[in-house]
Amino acid sequence: MSSEIHLSIVGLPSSGKTTLLAALWHMVREPGSITALSFDGLSHGNYEHLNALAKRWRSGNIQQRTQVSGARDVTMRLKDAVGQKVQVSFPDLPGEDFARMWERRELDKGMLETLKAPALVLLVNGDTIKMPAWVVDRIAMSKRLGIGVPEMEPTEWSADLAPTQVKIVDLLQMLMSGDLDIGGRRLALLISAWDKVEGDGLTPAEILESKLPLLHQYLRYGRDPWTWHVWGLSAQGGVYEDPEKNESFPETDKLRDLERPSDRIKVVDGLAVSSDITKPLQWLIS
Amino acid sequence: MATKALTCGNADCNLASDRKCVEGYEIDECPHAGRISIDDIPEAEEPDTVVTQPEPTIALASGEALDRYTASILQRRLVSRSIGLIGPNDSGKTSLIAGVYDLLQEGAVSGAAFAGSSTLIGFEKVCHLARAASRSAVPHTERTSRGSDATFFHLDLYQEGLGLTSLFIGDRSGEDYLAATDQISQADQFFEIRRADCITLLVNGAQLADSGLRHEVKAATPQIVDALVEARSIREGCRLAIVLTKKDSVVASRYADRVQKDFDGLVKSISESHGAYLGEVKPFVVAASPKDCENVARGEGVGDLLLFWLHASLPPVALGDGADRGFERMIDILIEKGTEN
Repeated sequence: MSSEIHLSIVGLPSSGKTTLLAALWHMVREPGSITALSFDGLSHGNYEHLNALAKRWRSGNIQQRTQVSGARDVTMRLKDAVGQKVQVSFPDLPGEDFARMWERRELDKGMLETLKAPALVLLVNGDTIKMPAWVVDRIAMSKRLGIGVPEMEPTEWSADLAPTQVKIVDLLQMLMSGDLDIGGRRLALLISAWDKVEGDGLTPAEILESKLPLLHQYLRYGRDPWTWHVWGLSAQGGVYEDPEKNESFPETDKLRDLERPSDRIKVVDGLAVSSDITKPLQWLIS
Repeated sequence: MATKALTCGNADCNLASDRKCVEGYEIDECPHAGRISIDDIPEAEEPDTVVTQPEPTIALASGEALDRYTASILQRRLVSRSIGLIGPNDSGKTSLIAGVYDLLQEGAVSGAAFAGSSTLIGFEKVCHLARAASRSAVPHTERTSRGSDATFFHLDLYQEGLGLTSLFIGDRSGEDYLAATDQISQADQFFEIRRADCITLLVNGAQLADSGLRHEVKAATPQIVDALVEARSIREGCRLAIVLTKKDSVVASRYADRVQKDFDGLVKSISESHGAYLGEVKPFVVAASPKDCENVARGEGVGDLLLFWLHASLPPVALGDGADRGFERMIDILIEKGTEN
């Protein structure tokens, strides 16, 4: 028996959406890998895009930014441990589309069906969370350090200055209202670039509560019917290189030296750590 | 040196090839020589680039502060509380709105947790000048424009044991409220006051600490309440929070004790004048967006005020026509009346 499940991956620019796809496609096709969801076979679709992503990922090169307009449809045929087959499709949407929803308060009609998926992966880059900061706290800190408050040219308000958590809360609220409201949905919240935040010694849920408290409250207190769970995800395991800048890092070489490329992946659920990048998807479709 | 190619405007002339004029003129004298034949002009090519039509878009909710009608629609969704903020210019109304929202950025406030908001853009705008991202040297909030209709900031808040409550905080220019003390008919336009479960009167602590301004504050502030009660804009039984704002300025002043005494006097005076008409009257002292947090914490006192707002409830009011309004829903009161223009 086979069923088709539509997932959407959402997230602000540079949250790691394409890297997740690359690592996922590599891992389910890596010989010998043991995952909650495994590769079931190719359909008649075009895998050029996915293969290109996975190739770049394996070589330790950063992904190119997703095309700023239009979605690239990605479909994978997977099966679970008892042979239940699922066809998972998710368009590779550029993060700019989501940023535009916050900043310009509009949505391309073409995204409508994609964003009405009953299960969503939300990626938040744990390394680039912009937390709110206040002038008065800055003044107090300057005084404590015995330095003057630096004179700066004031900046006009613009939507992009908002804290990360505010943008994400609004994105989720939009997905639960108007044309996008389909009722209850499942949400896998992945805090990406986990290798950069794990040094804090906190679990993903604790990172959510401490670094994204507004988002945490919004999800926890359940005004909108999200069924959600949070993971930490390092889909690269460390820094990748940009070939266009001729970058070369010893850390990337160490990742390349690992026996299996999938060993670079780290998926953190509470205190449990694994390299199985399919676990959040399994939870989403369960 | 290259020879310049000869051309002729006469299509039958072979001047370019045989260097002879078909009409027998000397080349220098031929009126057509040197002109470009219409046949020589290349046809314009269609541009290669295809003009792509922009993708049709769907407008999303603006996220700005709400007008009265949109607020009324949202008030149907959950149990709601409507707050009317009144006070003279610069008494700190916008700072208080921004302060409540900014405290929620860091976690629940006095047990009230953020559960959603349809006015996040509006909140972000009023918070901007207090945020480090603005690069302002001093925390500040924009003044609400005079003469504009009141708008509402919306927060859904969750409290353990009480569940979800929608809070709608009305915002209007302080100058408009002051105008009601000059002409009581001005109060007719204050729909946000008539719909309020709780009125919050702000008293500018910084001005009360200023010897040149304190008497004006002491005189003008109760007059606003007098006018609104007289005009029946404030409903009977409505609860009143009287809030001393800008605690940081009060604490930093050498008149802190005098300010407290003046404020207590104000509260006593209003209670005596209107206590029988109003529900509970309760004083608060806040530092919603202090310019300095050496002696006060940012947001100090705001949590207590927020709880007062959330617990505010208006007992049934028997109106003049003798009709029992006890079973009337709040929303029916909010969207009623031809007088609300």
